[in-house]
Amino acid sequence: MAGHERAGGSRPPSRFSPGARPAAHARPVSGMSPSWAGRRIGIGAALGRVSLVLALAFGSLALGAGYWQVIESANLSNSGDDAAVIAAARNVLRGEIVDRDGVRLAWNKRDKNDEPYRVYASDSLAGVIGYSTRQFGASGLENAWNAQLSGVVSADPLRELTRKFRADPSDPESVRTTLVLQLQEAAAVALGRNRGSVVMLDPRTGEILAMVSTPTYDVNAVANPDTSAATFKKLQKDKRSPLLPRATQGLYVPGSAFKIVTSMAALGSGAITPSTTYADQPAAERKGWLIDGFRVRDGHHPQTGSKALDYREAVEASCNIYFAETGVRTGSEALTQYADRLGFDAALPFDLPTAVSQITNGGGQLPGGFKDRVELANAAYGQAEVLVTPLQMALVAATIANDGTLMRPHLVLETTGKGGTTNVGRSAIGQVVSPGIAQEIAAAMRLAVNGDIGRIFTSGAALRSMVVAGKSGTAELDPGTSPHSWFIGFAPYDNPQVAIAVLVERSGGGDVKASPIAGELLRAWRTWAAH
Amino acid sequence: MSVNTVTAGMRAVGRETPRFRITPRFRGRELTLLVIVAIALVAGSVSLGATRLFEAAQLAETAPPTDILVLASPGLVLVYIAALFAVHGALVLAGRRTDQILLPTMGLLGGIGLLFMIRLPQDLAGRLGGLAQTQLLWLVIGLTIVAVMGVVVRNDVWLRRYKYTWAAAGVGLLLATFVFGHDINGARLSLTIGPFSGQPSELLKVILVVFLAGYLSENRPLLVDESTNLGPIRLPPLPYLAPMVVMWAIALAIVIVQRDLGAALLFFAVFLLLLYVSTARFSFVVIGLVAFVLGAGLLYFVFDHVRVRVDIWVDPFADPTGAGFQVVQALHAFARGGLIGTGLGAGLPNIAGRPPIPALHTDFPFAGLGEELGLVGILAVLGLYLVLVERGLRIASAAQDEFRAILAAGLSLVIGVQAFIIAAGNLKLIPLTGITLPFVSYGGSSLLANSLIVGLLIALSERTREPLPPPRRPGRLRRLFDRGAA
Repeated sequence: MAGHERAGGSRPPSRFSPGARPAAHARPVSGMSPSWAGRRIGIGAALGRVSLVLALAFGSLALGAGYWQVIESANLSNSGDDAAVIAAARNVLRGEIVDRDGVRLAWNKRDKNDEPYRVYASDSLAGVIGYSTRQFGASGLENAWNAQLSGVVSADPLRELTRKFRADPSDPESVRTTLVLQLQEAAAVALGRNRGSVVMLDPRTGEILAMVSTPTYDVNAVANPDTSAATFKKLQKDKRSPLLPRATQGLYVPGSAFKIVTSMAALGSGAITPSTTYADQPAAERKGWLIDGFRVRDGHHPQTGSKALDYREAVEASCNIYFAETGVRTGSEALTQYADRLGFDAALPFDLPTAVSQITNGGGQLPGGFKDRVELANAAYGQAEVLVTPLQMALVAATIANDGTLMRPHLVLETTGKGGTTNVGRSAIGQVVSPGIAQEIAAAMRLAVNGDIGRIFTSGAALRSMVVAGKSGTAELDPGTSPHSWFIGFAPYDNPQVAIAVLVERSGGGDVKASPIAGELLRAWRTWAAH
Repeated sequence: MSVNTVTAGMRAVGRETPRFRITPRFRGRELTLLVIVAIALVAGSVSLGATRLFEAAQLAETAPPTDILVLASPGLVLVYIAALFAVHGALVLAGRRTDQILLPTMGLLGGIGLLFMIRLPQDLAGRLGGLAQTQLLWLVIGLTIVAVMGVVVRNDVWLRRYKYTWAAAGVGLLLATFVFGHDINGARLSLTIGPFSGQPSELLKVILVVFLAGYLSENRPLLVDESTNLGPIRLPPLPYLAPMVVMWAIALAIVIVQRDLGAALLFFAVFLLLLYVSTARFSFVVIGLVAFVLGAGLLYFVFDHVRVRVDIWVDPFADPTGAGFQVVQALHAFARGGLIGTGLGAGLPNIAGRPPIPALHTDFPFAGLGEELGLVGILAVLGLYLVLVERGLRIASAAQDEFRAILAAGLSLVIGVQAFIIAAGNLKLIPLTGITLPFVSYGGSSLLANSLIVGLLIALSERTREPLPPPRRPGRLRRLFDRGAA
């Protein structure tokens, strides 16, 4: 204690410094009560302990800092949540997206912070290319091919980014799509203010030429960081669901367009032949065809009179009775089997996620899950619980156009990065029906567009410049509401190079809306293909 | 020119009383340390300037610059250094034998804070004036307070005699904040009177210490001696636990009404430490800790905002982009910094033109310094706080009486505990509470209150014995010269 006093140097002795305490302890200072002076513990000792506690607390800070800055340093700064990694990812210039002819569909601009954002060539691309934003992520092709477009594909490049996030260590690739911008725009214009979808593809390769969903939206406003939030909010509130990519995610009752699927199952399984007729069919046209207590009604084609229709005539006249009877004769097992070969009951193998097309809700008694023969009969002409995506129906048409072989649909031709160009090859999903049967159905579809009776239903799709084959559909919905209008088909008939599916929501019969749009777009395709 | 004429001149100017004669006193240690501080700040400014030059060259895709000896915002840094030396000059002229370490330590912390504000985007605080300019203004005002306190305050009667007045002022301030305060980030922290707005809890902490020093020094004998026997258990005197209960209630009220967890934690911790310092009774601390645990548990189960804070603390990575965002990004900042840091200006990658942590200038400067100065840098910063506390406790132990001792201890502990609370929150050692890092964080209230503390400590540190030194006693400078002459 005396030592402390010396160490204090010239400091005047404090009454409360440890040095003063023993004296006070030894002989109580007069005026102080002996009791507390005797037990007194000086402030100095307590101060010493408090400073020790504080020193320990600061020691724990040093240990904590050491833990995060040395031990956990590598782990944290290499993770995807790290601000440096995020900043680098945001500074990466995404690869450009071009159409099959090299026309730019998506490229980059820089904002006031010098950070890049996406710009798109056309609103018609909204439903297929989608958008890439900082705030709301990405959709469509931008999302599906994000790894290639951003060039950030694995954990290793992330580490690279962390180390030199100002440089450009990533390898963003540009993507050449199968799309044709002018067909995209033509389809968006043709659909106009209607809600609907168009899918056009090359049946021989599965290359998607156009994939449009309306209403379109201002995809540039979504991608621009200044307008992104407001636009996105507005779109999410919009009752017309513009953000829904209808071609791949919309599920619709197909109506008569589904008869092509039933045809493949019936002819493919041998349940009917092209010459099959049903004797009770002409009579049923008037009073309906009775099955298990349910009447399947028709009445669309008084022109056919009392003649029992064969297969081609039934397709041309779009006879519901014929296909109801055919469906029951084919059976639910074969119908399910052929539908599955076409891609029903599973997500399609495609660049974008797709909704699952179905022919029944399932859970029923019959094979494939049909409730009963009534449901099967109604499903056979595209009603009941049949729900399809426009892409699925385009594939149905493409399968017929390609002699019964279904090609995997795809959106990308090739990607080009620092390492060169990678081609995305075509591949077949499988043979759905034999070429002979496909040609028989194709011939019937040709009549449906060009035949005397067919023209009544599908007139708008016929062209002078080339022969179009197809099938319209009028999907009856709740009584009193307007039906969905469908057309699926392909052209040219002799050498099919394009298949198409057109859906216009709640717009009337297939002849009213979808067929003329298909005709217009096939004409646009011919103009494009001629170059 | 001889020293005598200077002294004579000062005498003519300075206010003379029969007891005090103002003789300039050379403060060699302070001067040396300030020179080191100035060199460090200029070096920091050069480092920041070089980083900016290279960054600009990289953006413009030109060759890296060769002449890199450029200061970042030289005006601001030089004004600050000049202000430090001006305070030093005032203290020299005042001629008091006061502490020489506090000013340079505070000066370095404030300077690091200033450099950090220069480095951040200037519109971070959302005001019209730039971040660094505003911070410099408050720093200069704070240094002025230090100078005034260090020169003028020679007795403590105004503090000790009116402790209940101070307490009433504190409670009034608290009530005014409850009633008229407005919310910042969901916490009722800010009070606006006329053109002035500030955070009353910063001033409140000083008032609290003044009151506690008065109360505890007065009641110390009773607190130390009396006890309540509960069977075989000896408890502290129950009647004198009342202030503890009141403090506990005030802390709870601050949390509940103001939602200011940091201030509540600071007040309660300083109160407990002072109670222990003045009584040396460990039982008080135990009772206080039990009360703290009970109160904290109660708050956790009753109040959402407390629960959210604790849940984030337990696992911030559960929601790294949402609730845990700031804490996670702060940990990432420490991690990026590593051992030696990225260098001033080279860290804290911008996302959309903003730093990754929104409250970088107020609640997270420690994390920002952790990234740019590295582990080495923040250990140095922590060391500076320990120096401040050590000086304060030294002043306390050398104090002339109990009041001054407890006052000095309390003031220095406020700074130490506050630095610990926010640094530990940044490092995820304890749940994050919004409180400033003394002298470094942006903000006038905090700087002024902490400057007041340093000013008071310097005033309290005067090493004089009653009566004060004889008028003719030569100053140290004079003695130096005399020795040199001999």
